[in-house]
Amino acid sequence: MKLMINIGIPSKGRLKKDIIKVFSQNKLHLFSERGKRDLFAFVKKYKDIRIIYLHAREIIERLADGSLDIGFSGYDLLKESNVNIQKKINVIKKYNFGLADLVLAIPSQWIDVQTVADLEEIAFILKEKKNQRIRVATKYPNLTKEFLYSKGVTQFKLVYSLGATEAYPLSGSSEIISDITSTGETLRANNLRILIDGKIISSQACMIVAKKSVKKKNIKKFIKLFPKE
Amino acid sequence: MKSKNLSEKILRSIKSKGFKYINLPSVIEANHIVQRSGESFREFIFSFVDQNGSELCLRPDLTIASSLRYLEKNLNSKEKIFYSGQAYRKSNNKKDSIIRDQVGFEIIGSKDEKNDDKEIIDTALKALSNLSYLKGTLKIGNVEIFNLLISKLDIPKRWKLRLLRHFWREEYFNDLLKRLETNSDVDPTIVEVDKKRYSKMLSEKQQTIIAGRSIQEILKRFDNKIKDPRKASRGKNVSKIIKEFLKINCPIDQAASQLNIFFKKNRISLIVEQNYFPTSLNKIQKLNVEFSTSFGRHLEYYTGMVFKIDIKSKFKNINIINGGRYDKLISNLGSKKKVPAVGAAININYK
Repeated sequence: MKLMINIGIPSKGRLKKDIIKVFSQNKLHLFSERGKRDLFAFVKKYKDIRIIYLHAREIIERLADGSLDIGFSGYDLLKESNVNIQKKINVIKKYNFGLADLVLAIPSQWIDVQTVADLEEIAFILKEKKNQRIRVATKYPNLTKEFLYSKGVTQFKLVYSLGATEAYPLSGSSEIISDITSTGETLRANNLRILIDGKIISSQACMIVAKKSVKKKNIKKFIKLFPKE
Repeated sequence: MKSKNLSEKILRSIKSKGFKYINLPSVIEANHIVQRSGESFREFIFSFVDQNGSELCLRPDLTIASSLRYLEKNLNSKEKIFYSGQAYRKSNNKKDSIIRDQVGFEIIGSKDEKNDDKEIIDTALKALSNLSYLKGTLKIGNVEIFNLLISKLDIPKRWKLRLLRHFWREEYFNDLLKRLETNSDVDPTIVEVDKKRYSKMLSEKQQTIIAGRSIQEILKRFDNKIKDPRKASRGKNVSKIIKEFLKINCPIDQAASQLNIFFKKNRISLIVEQNYFPTSLNKIQKLNVEFSTSFGRHLEYYTGMVFKIDIKSKFKNINIINGGRYDKLISNLGSKKKVPAVGAAININYK
């Protein structure tokens, strides 16, 4: 009996559609037994493959704990995950979709702040004169913290956001934000501006494999079904 | 150090110099640490939340616990104290132990700074005399000299503050020097666009707050920045001076003369006397005594004299004692006034 390959695909959004497209381009047709809401799917003619639809963040974690063998997710989410998780997985392919940058954005009216060095100075002034630390709202605390620290900004406080981060400065929940953006439109619409050197990381969709699974014969075979882009 | 006797001998020699033993709490409020060292320090502390929702942590070092004690007891007189115990800190290096045994001694709240610096070094040397070693180095630096040099350089104030703030972070400091050599912090194209917004903002209510900053504050800083550009050639020269300064490394008895030659050559109006340094002896016990301008960058909280003692014992180099002056630590932790403090810690975990 062949071992089952468990593959994680994002359960919604543009990323899900684009990944399913990659499957069909490679003649792998997905079907679900219980309709559109079914969180499991199979691949026609491949009985040993099981597809599980999950949150893109969770795909990374499930790869690390071994419940998935292969997963499709964003490079940003992979780099945001903790080091112990990253040690257990490998990026196999990167795709030309899901392209977006994680950036640091400030209120547009802060015209005196153009670079992260300016921001560092503002953070320092806030700390010295008002005994406050600049608040940075983000869904990416690890990458943001690392980036700010590497650029000399040490006096800040992270505000963990679950969504609609762009609204935080206007609602008074934070002074600045870091968020993922592809066109910058949502940032501009919310009166935010990206710092000149405020790009934290460039992201794209990836195929990721659990290190534990990488040597399994049928996994290698499956990966070969997806030619290089 | 495996011998309990040796550890006791060290404690006795510190006590014999007039230091009083104190006990320190093992758990402190994490907020104190984060407030002082920023968010990234969280990675190194073992923290947890108590039943009231307050974030607490195991003491990451004993100096912070001792400074908090001084602050919380509302003390304002001179104290000569010593303590011994464990500090708990995570490390990126797997070989490092998370538990570090420390013996520390400090002089807090005294204004006799030069003599106190000397007394801390003398006490460290006395404690060291309990150990057997072949040879070693006592390296002395002084962050204050760097601060004075920066204050004399021909660069905008914001750059001086930047360099002072990041002296202790070597990699980032070098990035700053590279940037100082260009003029990349003012982009003329963006400034032109922002000038339009500037004019518009001038007509708005100046006290309006935008994400924690008033329009008045923003416009004032914008104005200062535009009026204060740097010529790239001037930045290059300043960077060269700083790099050259940080290379000065000599026997301690030549510290003042080497610095004065440097200041004269670069037309910097500073003179340092040899008695500014805690000693002029090039050899103490089995230690070579050296001065280094770049030494003292490893810890953010040092503000003046800083020193370390490395010894060679059984083919191994061991960093055995570290110390220095940290006059801003207690005020950073919440004291309204500046409290002078100098101290040292002995590493008793070496094998």
